[in-house]
Amino acid sequence: MNAPAGADVADVAADGAIRSLNPSIRTIWTIKMAAFSVLLFLPALFYDLTHLFSSDAWLPFGALSGTVLVGGVLYCVAWPRLRYRAWGFALRPEELYMEHGVLQHVRTIVPLRRIQHVDVSQDLVEREFALGRLVVHTAGSRSSDVVIPGLPLSEAEAIRDKIKRFILEDPLTEEPV
Amino acid sequence: MPPSPTESNSDGRPDASPAPDRPAGEEKEEEPAPTGAGEAATATTLGAVREPQRLHPLTLLLRVGASLPALVIILLPLLRNPGSTENVTSLVLGVLYGVFALPAILLQYWRFSYRITPKQIVIQSGVLNRKNRSIPIERVQNIQIERNLVARLFGIAKVKLETAGSTSTEGSLEYVHQDEAQKIRQVVRSFQRGSQEAEAAASADAEDAADTETLLDMSLRRVLLSGAFRFSLLYLAVIFTVLELFNPEALVERVLRAQGRVGWVSEVIFSHPALAILTTVVAAVFLGWVSGIGVHVARYYDFRLWLDGDKLRKRHGLFTVTEGTVPLDKVQALILRTNPFMRAFGWYELKVQTVGLDVEEQGHRVIAPFAGAGRILELARQVRSVELPESFAHVSRLTIRRRFIRYTAVWAALLLPTVYFWPADWLHLGGVVLPWWGFGLVPFILGWAVLQYQNHGYAAGEDGFYIRRGVLSHYLWILPVEKFHVFHTTASIFQRRLGLKTLFVDTAGAATFAYPEVIDVPAAEADAQFGALYRRFRQLYRTRVEAATGAPDTRLAPDERPHLPVDEPPS
Repeated sequence: MNAPAGADVADVAADGAIRSLNPSIRTIWTIKMAAFSVLLFLPALFYDLTHLFSSDAWLPFGALSGTVLVGGVLYCVAWPRLRYRAWGFALRPEELYMEHGVLQHVRTIVPLRRIQHVDVSQDLVEREFALGRLVVHTAGSRSSDVVIPGLPLSEAEAIRDKIKRFILEDPLTEEPV
Repeated sequence: MPPSPTESNSDGRPDASPAPDRPAGEEKEEEPAPTGAGEAATATTLGAVREPQRLHPLTLLLRVGASLPALVIILLPLLRNPGSTENVTSLVLGVLYGVFALPAILLQYWRFSYRITPKQIVIQSGVLNRKNRSIPIERVQNIQIERNLVARLFGIAKVKLETAGSTSTEGSLEYVHQDEAQKIRQVVRSFQRGSQEAEAAASADAEDAADTETLLDMSLRRVLLSGAFRFSLLYLAVIFTVLELFNPEALVERVLRAQGRVGWVSEVIFSHPALAILTTVVAAVFLGWVSGIGVHVARYYDFRLWLDGDKLRKRHGLFTVTEGTVPLDKVQALILRTNPFMRAFGWYELKVQTVGLDVEEQGHRVIAPFAGAGRILELARQVRSVELPESFAHVSRLTIRRRFIRYTAVWAALLLPTVYFWPADWLHLGGVVLPWWGFGLVPFILGWAVLQYQNHGYAAGEDGFYIRRGVLSHYLWILPVEKFHVFHTTASIFQRRLGLKTLFVDTAGAATFAYPEVIDVPAAEADAQFGALYRRFRQLYRTRVEAATGAPDTRLAPDERPHLPVDEPPS
């Protein structure tokens, strides 16, 4: 055997080669979170305005909408940075390695051999920044689709093609499941 | 590899075109000599289903029968009050039913056909909206033959075709003659095996003459015994159904008529609440026990499991006889299940996890409902090489603390609102409202957490990953290395404080609850296992690639590679 098991321990979880996402993903996340915060803020504001002159108001004016506003702004500012910092991935010869998660740290290895198909998708905001996201489908039950967001579209496509090539060239003809 | 059509006729018949328009001549010789007649039987089976076939005519009768309740409901006013002028609508609806529903059933039957070619099973259906479904033969993973009570009376059967890719039954033939069902199975199997093994197929086609290896047979006594170890809540459903059918008010009235006794009973209940609770519990346990036996006998009566080439086949059932197949190489994981009672007597249940997901069994197929430990291991070894590890590694002891805190928090979150909203005139015990006493259960929560810790373990063997989990329902998962899919470690914010991680290896078709994850492993240990499991997987496939190609390098040389339409853009 030319590749003894111990020789490449490092490449299972080596930190050196781990890449971050494209930094503009932070802006995209901020935009999406801001939209979400506004959706929460409007009802709060509505409640505050409608109870402006009511005698039995148990909250001072602006307490609810103010809290939501401050919380929303903090969320939009801090969360994308934290999330960006937690994200990392690496496409290695035989596997896709990734780690992410702010509250819940997750490390995942997807063997390329196990990938059923790969998509590159892009939504409206991502299109403005020329970013795409790579969606990898496996037959695993809980992790049937694994997503890497915030890749430049060309790079996402390059990764997709590398994975496709790996699957096409696989000398084993057995079915994946 | 699908056999090419010209090769599939093992017996040297010159024609083998799967074209649907071939002359029907020889294929209509429907009656194969009863299985076992060797070549002649194979010859007819191989050709017989290639012509489009209709379902069994009795299907019509059953479908009309199934639609009759609707007709009765439509005509109910008319039946209740014949001669009234007000039920014109129901009469019209009844006529409409006769004009539309009955012809629809007939047309559906008329327009439904199936045929089996060496490459695919084609099912055409639909009256207005024609559907033409073709299932490639080599993708058919399971042909399930179901015969419920009515079908058994008429000698017909329902055939369900399952493939690996879908989450439900891919095609269903409802109903065909029961011999036809067996024949479909044999034909598909012989096509799957291909012509090079046609001889073997021919001999195996005669297998119902019991020349295959029986792995497990359960006598009625054994089925009854196995039921005695199970509980079922089915009786609750039965009680509710009875209440639906019989007017509850009438029941209450009847009870009131026997007032004397009721008064006595209710008096006892009110004077001795503890006794009442005890009686209820005993009754519930007894009913659960009895219905557990009933359910088990109905499901597993006459259970038989046998090995047929590279497939496990099983047949069981009292009213509905189910016959199914599990291809050995499609088994994703083995699951041994037991409960404390069964374990005390050394009984286990063996299931396998497959992808052609059967909704009722959640992707798990029961291979042996009830057998001793030795027998179970023997069966498991038929499926995969299994070497039960000597000892299991425990997860971190901190898991007790985490579980205790979590369960207590949940319990408190449930109790505190009831304390707050407890009405003043309801039961107060010892000067405080009743829910406060709920916190008396906290020591039991601690005990439970300890039990969970004791029953949770893992071991990484040469050929697989073994995970033990569960207190009341005790599971042992055996995940073979070659069926690993995706590897994960997760660490929640609380786990990180204590330096713990959760490790899990995903497999195809795993259930979404009761999942084989290893919770609260020390972080360093989890990372080491994470890497080691993946390396074992990679090593296995590297060896396989080397065996297949003769070269350690799996990749083709750059100039030999197939070129994709999209070339790698410069990064």
